[in-house]
Amino acid sequence: MAMKDMTMDIDPKPRRAPSMWVPVAIGLGTAMLAGGFAGYNQSATESGEAAIAPWVGPLFAVALGGIALALYVRRHADSFRSWSPRKRLYWISVILSGALGFVTALVLQTGPQGADGLLSNSAMTPNIAIGLSLLWIVGLIVALFLYHRTIDDHERRAYHLGALAGFYAFVMPCPVWWVLWRADLAPPVDAMQLFALSLIVNGIVYFWFKFR
Amino acid sequence: MNNQLKVLRAMRNWSQAELADRLDVSRQAVNAIETGKYDPSLPLAFKLARLFAMPIEEIFDDGHEGHDDGH
Repeated sequence: MAMKDMTMDIDPKPRRAPSMWVPVAIGLGTAMLAGGFAGYNQSATESGEAAIAPWVGPLFAVALGGIALALYVRRHADSFRSWSPRKRLYWISVILSGALGFVTALVLQTGPQGADGLLSNSAMTPNIAIGLSLLWIVGLIVALFLYHRTIDDHERRAYHLGALAGFYAFVMPCPVWWVLWRADLAPPVDAMQLFALSLIVNGIVYFWFKFR
Repeated sequence: MNNQLKVLRAMRNWSQAELADRLDVSRQAVNAIETGKYDPSLPLAFKLARLFAMPIEEIFDDGHEGHDDGH
């Protein structure tokens, strides 16, 4: 013990800055775990076996993810305290946005409509529809207000270029699809597919200019 | 636009993350400026000039020689 203490005094090793990929990995792991439960339930239902309640899997995954995130924050508490207010608010806005998307996806996948896919047009109960609408609008307003107040010049540029690319990914195919549908050459325009395309293009361009 | 950021940072033995903390920007922003993939805004250029106690034109070089007399 004495030898160990002496070595530490002579060669102090600074604690590494927390990697922001860890919370991303925790989020992905949580989503995959919830997806695993959903997959299990689907195959159980198809084979005629008893499925577990649809809320158990997501709740278990979120609880496990929450514990992992709490341990991560606790381990790097000193580093987080040394962050500037701008940086702290920035990460709060990013985590809030991610949580919003995660909860929305979870609710959409756990209901009876979930089997049709995340962006399906299947029927939904009014309570869930109103709840998700409020969550999306209020949550996004708060998260985006924080985000736009705290991003630096470089990220603002990446965001603007990503937003422009996402906008083009919507305005270019949308009228083309619409006129093709009117000529009976294509199925009816699906707004959610265009929304998804716009988001994917936005994300690719944003990440390219932010991390290249 | 060329710049001396990497050299100035190395002279002070700062990592990109340390410089980013001093400027209160992300590490990716410092990396993008150093590699010439992004030209900083005027406020950020002034911030850099104050941090290194140098005029902006000694940190950044737009490739034009001499002074522009407006003609």
